[in-house]
Amino acid sequence: MRMLPERVQNTLRNFWRGLRQWSGDSAYETYLACAQRQKIQQPLSAAEFYVEQLNRKYSRPNRCC
Amino acid sequence: MKRLVSIFVWMAIAALGAAALSTIAFHRGEPINATWFVLAAACFYLLAYRVYSAFIAAKLLALDNTRATPAERRDDGRDFVPTNKWVLFGHHFAAIAGPGPLVGPTLAAQFGYLPGTLWLIAGAAFAGCVQDFVILFCSIRRDGKTLGEMARDEVSRRGGFLAQLAVLAIMIILLGVVALVVVNALKSSPWATFTLAMTIPIALLLGVYLRYFRPGRVLEASFVGVALVLFVVVAGQWVADSPTWSRIFTAGGVPLAFAIIAYGFAASALPVWLLLAPRDYLSAFIKAGAIFSLAAGILIVRPQVLMPPLTRFVDGSGPVFAGKIFPFCFITIACGAISGFHSLISSGTTPKMIQREGHARFIGYGAMLLESFVGVMAMVAACAMTPGIYFAINSPAQIVGATPEAAAATISSWGFPLSADTMTGLAHAVGEQTLLNRAGGAPSLAVGMAQIFSNTIGGERLLSIWYHFAIMFEALFILTVLDAGTRVGRFMIQELGGRVWKPLGRMNWMPSILLSSAIIVAAWGYFLYQGVVDPLGGINSLWPLFGISNQLLAAVALVVATTILLKMSKARWIWVTMLPMAWLVTVTMTASYQKIFSSNARIGFLAQANAMAAQMAAGKIAAAKIADTERIIFNLRLDAVVTAVLAGMILVLLVEALAQWYAILSRSRELVLKETPYVATQWAEGD
Repeated sequence: MRMLPERVQNTLRNFWRGLRQWSGDSAYETYLACAQRQKIQQPLSAAEFYVEQLNRKYSRPNRCC
Repeated sequence: MKRLVSIFVWMAIAALGAAALSTIAFHRGEPINATWFVLAAACFYLLAYRVYSAFIAAKLLALDNTRATPAERRDDGRDFVPTNKWVLFGHHFAAIAGPGPLVGPTLAAQFGYLPGTLWLIAGAAFAGCVQDFVILFCSIRRDGKTLGEMARDEVSRRGGFLAQLAVLAIMIILLGVVALVVVNALKSSPWATFTLAMTIPIALLLGVYLRYFRPGRVLEASFVGVALVLFVVVAGQWVADSPTWSRIFTAGGVPLAFAIIAYGFAASALPVWLLLAPRDYLSAFIKAGAIFSLAAGILIVRPQVLMPPLTRFVDGSGPVFAGKIFPFCFITIACGAISGFHSLISSGTTPKMIQREGHARFIGYGAMLLESFVGVMAMVAACAMTPGIYFAINSPAQIVGATPEAAAATISSWGFPLSADTMTGLAHAVGEQTLLNRAGGAPSLAVGMAQIFSNTIGGERLLSIWYHFAIMFEALFILTVLDAGTRVGRFMIQELGGRVWKPLGRMNWMPSILLSSAIIVAAWGYFLYQGVVDPLGGINSLWPLFGISNQLLAAVALVVATTILLKMSKARWIWVTMLPMAWLVTVTMTASYQKIFSSNARIGFLAQANAMAAQMAAGKIAAAKIADTERIIFNLRLDAVVTAVLAGMILVLLVEALAQWYAILSRSRELVLKETPYVATQWAEGD
């Protein structure tokens, strides 16, 4: 990684970050950051958040024909 | 200087696009290279985005980057999450890109490559992208409200109820039709059936891993899952080669239909993390990979398009489906040019995640352009195969015959030379028992894709693997639409049921879950079964029904958009949404009328029912087939009623909207625009 120019490293890092956001891989981290900003005392655990988020997502049209 | 360069570049793009479009429009005789299609589409999209979407953003919508979006004001880390515009573009595209833009253009290729290609490109730029963009904007300005809620708030209460009812009805038809496409792709194919069946245990494995071992670690689970799916695609060949396993996984249309109905019920009633969500992850990655590979394959191979620009079937006598270019080409292409279903996504998740109002142009308009490009690629893949093969795969046995010899003779007599050996050899090369009479678009698209892929990597040797990869890709993400749609339909029925008897509305109450799942599955399962037992292959009658319902929903969305824009005092620019709306109403009403009342038995539901009834009365139907014939007659009459009800609902909504528009323009009533009040963004320019 050190051999790569900084610009390439940044591009790869941004791509990886984008891929994680797109796939939902980093959704819990985003939620925790938001919970911290809003000073929520007892945020959901990773497993609770995962199930709750899926139940919400798949209760409305989210895949098209 | 910079401005001069910019002008020069855009003029060059315009000139190149015009040259490419003229080439595909006026080329006659020799086959034409697919590169012209890619060039024409890409240049047209770039210009449409640069000029038309900028005009809509500035003049019609006046997008305001100083206004806080719902994602900023209501940021909760769950629903309302400010998201990078490229990531949200990916999200939105993954949500709107379904099987429609692949199957529709493949079926419409029976008219020749020209009508479908022109409508895909122009329809997207002037109708589909406009709908997605404007509805996204309207929903952003209303805290992410759904299309139904906006119809209720801005048109009328009755309008909102009708829109919600239309969504449910359309979803039922849609699910039945896409399930039929899967059945026709898997019929008598042990390889494809095995591959698709194996995606279920793989998804269950992923579901348990993501729920109990590494909650939410979607990427690592998906990588393993995709690798396993690719493995089962290859392993399918061993199954097909084994006499025992091959027998187990060879199924006819009816058992496959019941298996898919059972799957839909399970996906709706089981916890979402167990089956539905992990399958969606697999599907999303494979969909992205397959679409990217198809684009790369077309650019590398640059295949010759062998289908003529126009075929003799423009007169309405097509074997794939009956009806003239107007209105049936537009009804058949559907999603690749404009899809009513997109308005549900544009007023669903996306408006809650958008960072800036200005991003709506890139996401709403841009993602639909990309979807249209997928449609153009599907058209190229379908038209790059020998036309005779295309018609042999997509035509029902009743029209071309059930044996390779009969099909070859019929299709050759139409002017598309084909030998029986070609069909037998092709089926053998792709590892299938037969490719004849596989209506539905999926198998012919898979053959087209496999030919492009195998010319890029592996040659003839890998044709069968590529074919089954393409079938798996299509079936996998059709099933994702099916299970996600069934679940949403279940929620809609629970909500409606709750109005009648409160406990039915409790989303977590098991009897209500089971009952509503059974109702929704029975509803689309009925259409699926009807298609499977249809002697004409089902697609002939059901795909137009799907197209009509989808385009009617788009008309609903444009009615709502036009009403909102009139309330925003944008009457001067109202043609932007009103013209595509008027076009859609004209197309869908003409198609509905013809599907119900046409005296041609291949087009009109009632004419076909009457013809069959007359045959029965004359004693021309064998005693053993009387019960089947009676059922088909009933189904045809039911299809006519469904079409009439859908068209009627939209006409009522249109009348409601016209009354509103008159009131707005004559200022006879005080009209309130139900936007959320302006709140200035707290974010700096570059955030």
